[in-house]
Amino acid sequence: MKSISRPVSILRILGCTALFVLAACSPKEDRRVSGRLVLEYWEKWTGFERDAMARVVDDFNDSQDRIFVRFLSVSRIDQKMMLATAGGVPPDVAGLWAINLPSYAENNALMPMDRLVRDSGIREEDYLPVFWKLCRYRNFLWALPSTPSVTALHWNKKMFREAGLDPEQPPRTIAELESFNEKLTRKNADGSLAQIGHMPQEPGWWMHDFPSWFGGASWDGGTQLLLDAAPNRHFFAWLESYPKRFGGPAMYQLRGAFGNFASPDNPFFNGKVGMIMQGVWMNNFIKNYAPAGFEYGVAAFPEETEHPGAPMTVAETDILVIPAGAHHPKEAMEFIAFVERQKNMENLCLGQRKISPLRRVSSEFVKNHSHPYLRTFLQLANSPRAQPTLALPTFKEYANDLTTYVNLVLLGRMPAEQARGEMLGRQQKALDAKLSRWNQVAPVRVSRWEAEIQP
Amino acid sequence: MMPGEHRNLIKGLVFISPWIVGFLAFNLYPLIASIWFSLCDYSVLSQPVFLGVQNYVDLWHDPVFWKALRNTVVFALVAIPLSSFLSIGLAVLLNQPIAGQGIYRTIFFLPSLVPAISLAILWQWMLNGPMGLVNNLVRPFLNIINAVCGSHLQAPDWLNDPNFALGGLILTGLWGTGQAVVIYLAGLQEIPLELYEAAELDGTSAWQRFLHVTLPMLSPVIFFNVLMSIIGALQTFAVPYILTGGGDGPGRSLLFLATYIYQNAFDYWNMGYASALALCLFVLIIALSLVSVRYGEKKVHYSGR
Amino acid sequence: MKPTRSSVPWFTRVALILLGVLFLLPFFWMVSTSLKPLNETMKLPPQWLPSSPQWNNYPDAMRAMGPFWLYARNSLLLAFLNVIGTVFSSALVAYGFSRLDWRGRDACFFVLLATMMIPFPVVMVPIYGLFKAVGWIGTFQPLWVPAFLAGAFNVFLLRQFFLSIPRDLSEAARIDGCSEFRIFWQIILPLAKPALLTVALFQFMATWNDFLGPLIFLARENQYTLALGLQALQGTISGTPWHHLMAASTLVLLPVLVLFFLTQRTFIRGIATTGLK
Repeated sequence: MKSISRPVSILRILGCTALFVLAACSPKEDRRVSGRLVLEYWEKWTGFERDAMARVVDDFNDSQDRIFVRFLSVSRIDQKMMLATAGGVPPDVAGLWAINLPSYAENNALMPMDRLVRDSGIREEDYLPVFWKLCRYRNFLWALPSTPSVTALHWNKKMFREAGLDPEQPPRTIAELESFNEKLTRKNADGSLAQIGHMPQEPGWWMHDFPSWFGGASWDGGTQLLLDAAPNRHFFAWLESYPKRFGGPAMYQLRGAFGNFASPDNPFFNGKVGMIMQGVWMNNFIKNYAPAGFEYGVAAFPEETEHPGAPMTVAETDILVIPAGAHHPKEAMEFIAFVERQKNMENLCLGQRKISPLRRVSSEFVKNHSHPYLRTFLQLANSPRAQPTLALPTFKEYANDLTTYVNLVLLGRMPAEQARGEMLGRQQKALDAKLSRWNQVAPVRVSRWEAEIQP
Repeated sequence: MMPGEHRNLIKGLVFISPWIVGFLAFNLYPLIASIWFSLCDYSVLSQPVFLGVQNYVDLWHDPVFWKALRNTVVFALVAIPLSSFLSIGLAVLLNQPIAGQGIYRTIFFLPSLVPAISLAILWQWMLNGPMGLVNNLVRPFLNIINAVCGSHLQAPDWLNDPNFALGGLILTGLWGTGQAVVIYLAGLQEIPLELYEAAELDGTSAWQRFLHVTLPMLSPVIFFNVLMSIIGALQTFAVPYILTGGGDGPGRSLLFLATYIYQNAFDYWNMGYASALALCLFVLIIALSLVSVRYGEKKVHYSGR
Repeated sequence: MKPTRSSVPWFTRVALILLGVLFLLPFFWMVSTSLKPLNETMKLPPQWLPSSPQWNNYPDAMRAMGPFWLYARNSLLLAFLNVIGTVFSSALVAYGFSRLDWRGRDACFFVLLATMMIPFPVVMVPIYGLFKAVGWIGTFQPLWVPAFLAGAFNVFLLRQFFLSIPRDLSEAARIDGCSEFRIFWQIILPLAKPALLTVALFQFMATWNDFLGPLIFLARENQYTLALGLQALQGTISGTPWHHLMAASTLVLLPVLVLFFLTQRTFIRGIATTGLK
């Protein structure tokens, strides 16, 4: 590794001195409040999700008198946390998404938590396997789950009835999904779409995970993207069938008139879309915004080939991490461990209307959770076929490209094979570059992390 | 050096010293550091690793870079002439001694005061396909055209259609052209009245006066504004970035060099690649500025020369 | 074209009114939306006016943004520091480039003009590193200290103006034994008021609306500015609360609007006097 060359460093010193001369001493924040150590905790949540965590934070602050957690909502938290960490002013605890984890770990932005977690008595067996898996990367534990989610098919029973379908019988395969789709779709006199049974871009939040329902993931977990394998081929061909059957612009035209997610004009609530992929929180929005008497069902999202007995789902989770360079990891861990206790975790997950990542679920949790299909979601999360979401070290590049190519295919502007090929070429290259960067720093990095997690 | 000359030099340097410090810290050092980073693999959290010209090789083979470059240049080439015509026209209108001048001036300047976030979100909505305001204005015209010609033209779904997204952005930009209008207006007020009076005595029409008096007298201001617009347009970032929710727009039609730089730097943490892209943008700005300076020198009419 | 008042042709008026309406339309939409209940914001066909104005949207939007008044204070503080810094330092530098003769002046000025062409993305990353090295990330300094180091564009504007002031004025003062700084401070600056006001106004607007700078350099929520606070309202999982966003935008726009309306005459004269030649 070569550091900055000589002339550059001289200039840098000049530049810095110039700034130092002008610098008023930067204000140092008082990190103690009435003798208690103040921890800063950044979260992405707002609204009722934030309130649920705020209650847990209050409980923690009341439970002892040494540590005070200051809880802050931060927008664009993934970017801000990285910049703050790079700038040497990281928070003590941060709430991220599991999909960010690999790129953060490889970029040296996180602290490995193996030892801290072990010392606090938390064990792998306490968690549902898929959520624990999402917190690990390159043989280190980087996070603990906060509120998780698994995805499932939601369908509008009234629309099923109107289309002559059995409202209690959801589709079990992709082929069935599509035949239902055609029955549920209605066109206006001028040929535009009035309603549609299903379209992949609504809500389109798990586009990167769709291939899992076609039989496999998009990454082998190592050096290869699997965009050339059958699952992705079939996924892209499936996407391509949409503009052919419904018209690309027509679908976007319909979508342009969709209202806000959290409003009565949500396309699922007002009967514009009959079947969607959604998570456990959806019930809460249905209760608040859907018309009275709205009937819906929840089941595993259909796969290309049916696997009776073990349902498929893709799991993801919000996580709590300690940024690299945070000054009080032990105290931060004490707070995280408090959140992870069954009672507190269930309060949090109840407040956010989600399921718990813990293996043990109390009967009160089930009783107090108002979701009529809670059992379906618990079953999905416990299923041996629950897959972790695609947590690539190049996730952002991948997701951004995928959005572009999927849109082109769904608009009918690019053949599926071409899109998939271009996507593969670009993203494999991006992954290779990331990995070669990683390989250069890995020996130093890994031995340092290993030293950090020694008992 | 004479002692007096020496003293003058010291005096001059003392007066411009704030700029010298700023230049070293915020121009020269960053520029050189950027060149160095562009030769490295660098994420903000670890030391740069020297790569040689690898980033530039990658860039040459990166179709997305070329797409972003193309979008950037096309945007500049279309948007700058359009907004120049519009803002000169508006400035001429606003220079008329008309009742409520101050109100009109404020109306046209107002959009350039709107924060980028509000501007982008407002237009995200104005350009919405089925229910945007723009299409509600366009549709009646299309209906007339369709009725007369028997065609089947449809109002575009601006921000979802790869062919129209850039057009939508240009509309947004035209609305925010107020700053240029104000500068043109100031330029118009500088033109001596006698010139018009003389021209009027010669029996010229208003259009001829515009062509032969206004335009030549305004040409230094036009030159200045065009140069500033080139520098600004090639750096377009905030509005398309927010308009597309941080993405590339349909078919990457709203991906600009500045967006791609930002994505690489702060979304993907490829600072090295971002620096290489940024230097390309720098070269592009210099090149286009030089072209316009060359061209401008021949055309611009400087009074008193 | 500078016809007398009586001879403004009718089509000029009509054109001005039509264009004015067209330019106002988005604002009208912004304000009308800011007064609608959420379910009326997405009506098809669009609804021009709210069925009954929801004045509550304004306090609600301010609450949704977070500590609105704190953000407003931060924005004002930064705008104030930036205006003071830019006006003073740019005037000083412009003076050095226009009213003093020294060797290498024109070469230096050329370099200054060239720096205008350095796009922000080019220098963004190293500047970040610089501020990190001096420990300023997460503080206000990166957002106002550079303003005290003169901006190329403003130096250019002011230099043009200073050049137009007759030389004899300062020569006379020099013979009287005035120091150069006193000439600058007591003779030239008072003459340059309209030009200084123009620079101040440009800078105020730029700082007030700056989004990228605060986004990159600030870390703590309690330091956010209004422009950055607006972003917090933009899309969450629940979708964009259009009505709140438009209400907040109207609030953020209002002070700048009033400022421009009150100063527009001086402002335009200020630009005119700089000449841009």
